[in-house]
Amino acid sequence: MAACALAIALVGLGFWTLIRRRNVIWKLLGLNVAAGGAILFLVAIAHRPGAHPAIVGLGPGPTADPLPHALVLTAIVIHFATLALSLVYVIVLTERRHSQDVHKLEEDR
Amino acid sequence: MTLAIGGVVLYLALGVIGFLVRPQWICGVLAILAGSVSLALWAPGFPEEALGGGGWGIPVAGDPWALGMWALALVVHGAVLLHERARPGAFHPVLTLLVGSCLAAVVSGDLFNLYVTLELVSLLSFILVGYEGQPRAVWAGLQYLILATVGMTLYLLGVGLVYGKLGTLSLSAIAALGRGLSDPAVAIGAGLLVAGAAIKGGVFLFGLWLPPAHGYAPTGVSVVLSAVVVKTGVVALARLAAAFPVGPILVAIGILTGFGGLVYALWERDLKVFLAFSTVSQLGYILIGLGLGGQALLGAILYAVAHGLFKGLLFLAAGQAIEETGEREIASLVGRLSWPTALGLAVGTWAIAGLPPLAGFAAKGALTADLSPMARAVLGALSVGTAALCARLIPLLRPGPKGTASPGGVTVLIVSLVGFGLWGFLRLPGLLAPGKWAEAVGEALGGYGLYLLLRRVRPPLPRITLDRATVLALLGATALVAGILLLG
Repeated sequence: MAACALAIALVGLGFWTLIRRRNVIWKLLGLNVAAGGAILFLVAIAHRPGAHPAIVGLGPGPTADPLPHALVLTAIVIHFATLALSLVYVIVLTERRHSQDVHKLEEDR
Repeated sequence: MTLAIGGVVLYLALGVIGFLVRPQWICGVLAILAGSVSLALWAPGFPEEALGGGGWGIPVAGDPWALGMWALALVVHGAVLLHERARPGAFHPVLTLLVGSCLAAVVSGDLFNLYVTLELVSLLSFILVGYEGQPRAVWAGLQYLILATVGMTLYLLGVGLVYGKLGTLSLSAIAALGRGLSDPAVAIGAGLLVAGAAIKGGVFLFGLWLPPAHGYAPTGVSVVLSAVVVKTGVVALARLAAAFPVGPILVAIGILTGFGGLVYALWERDLKVFLAFSTVSQLGYILIGLGLGGQALLGAILYAVAHGLFKGLLFLAAGQAIEETGEREIASLVGRLSWPTALGLAVGTWAIAGLPPLAGFAAKGALTADLSPMARAVLGALSVGTAALCARLIPLLRPGPKGTASPGGVTVLIVSLVGFGLWGFLRLPGLLAPGKWAEAVGEALGGYGLYLLLRRVRPPLPRITLDRATVLALLGATALVAGILLLG
């Protein structure tokens, strides 16, 4: 439950940064914090009371739900790719427009 | 199922091989061939099966949505290949990968698999939007990626909520459970899923990244984005609507996007951004049909395919015009188009106005065949508005000097539009009724009248910035979740 609350707080915090900051890099950081929150939420969903991690060889007893963990792995890779690509675009924009400020980038050119 | 998956795998593999061989477009041609063979073998569809077998497999289904989108994607890819064949570098391999991931997205019946394929589609389109490195296009691409990621984050939260409550990711299994939206957690989850897909799909007020990204992308990329990529978001919404009873919500979003896109398009000066706003508006027809369900669902599928064909043609002709003249504004393009470009624009305009005998008329006929008078009136008003948009393009249709563009891509799309229209006359009942024809012509004339009325007006529409678009997407998502909670 605490993990769920933390995850939702992270998503909110990330979106807040995304909206409030004017620098594109800050915006991307906010976006990534939000995405991290969503990933943490999936991990929290997998939790079962008294269970140990879903790893073969950790002994008997209930395990956490392995499916969300598999999803999380994929989601992390996707977020990595997204962030890397966006940063490449920020580099291009910085070189061409000499700015990372959203208001400046939005002026029509 | 094996045949369809084989087609997708071959498509993606040829995309990767395309990076290594010269000329790069050759792998695109092979991929289209492979895709067509696969489509011909699995058409007219296959029942849902689990890829990987057993309880853990990913459900894959060859339903009418998949059939229509596959045919559309292959035709459009062919047209773009003809137009852009001279483009060097990684363009064609990335384009092939993009179309391949669209093919994968539309056969998927699994919440998380949809997420992965939609993200793949976003990433690849993002590369292509900024391919020429113009700052304006790069900025449009970055906006696209930021908003698409916002949408997909909401979607992932929805996946978590739904899986946590229902214990399955398969959309057909969720539909079979028939739990509806009475459980608040499931209702919130469904709301987040729909909101995420709506943001990704470029629906008005949710996905306002669409107009700049489609408008400033290179010609061939705009064509694929508007014709095929937008439809993956629509297919995701269609799958969600089959699993959760969210029909009324989709109708509401459809009306909003139909008229919202229309208002912005009426006063947009840049030709390609104008077409992009018109895409936003056209999504309205599809979503309204989707939300109403029943007979209208088939109409929505046909309209999605028809829209892909005629909007692809319009974007192709518009891109050619811009490449030929170096001008982007509608007013400064008047009388400067070469005749193949003007012809493409004319046929596209004729089709999007819903005039017989082209694809737009057939699809609109199927969509409105079995509707209540209320829904018919809403769609009629939308058609009048669409015709008013078309009236803005009429001055462009007078051909000017001889051009340099090759007419190959335009020809492919014109032939498919005519073919779709003829197929409609043969297979869809009631299209030959004089009342339908009179209605179509009446709507077109009404639209022209509306255009003449509004020509002198210039309302101050609020500018769409990244911050505003983000806030609107999040507010829209909140409203949507609230709406679904009320519904449940």
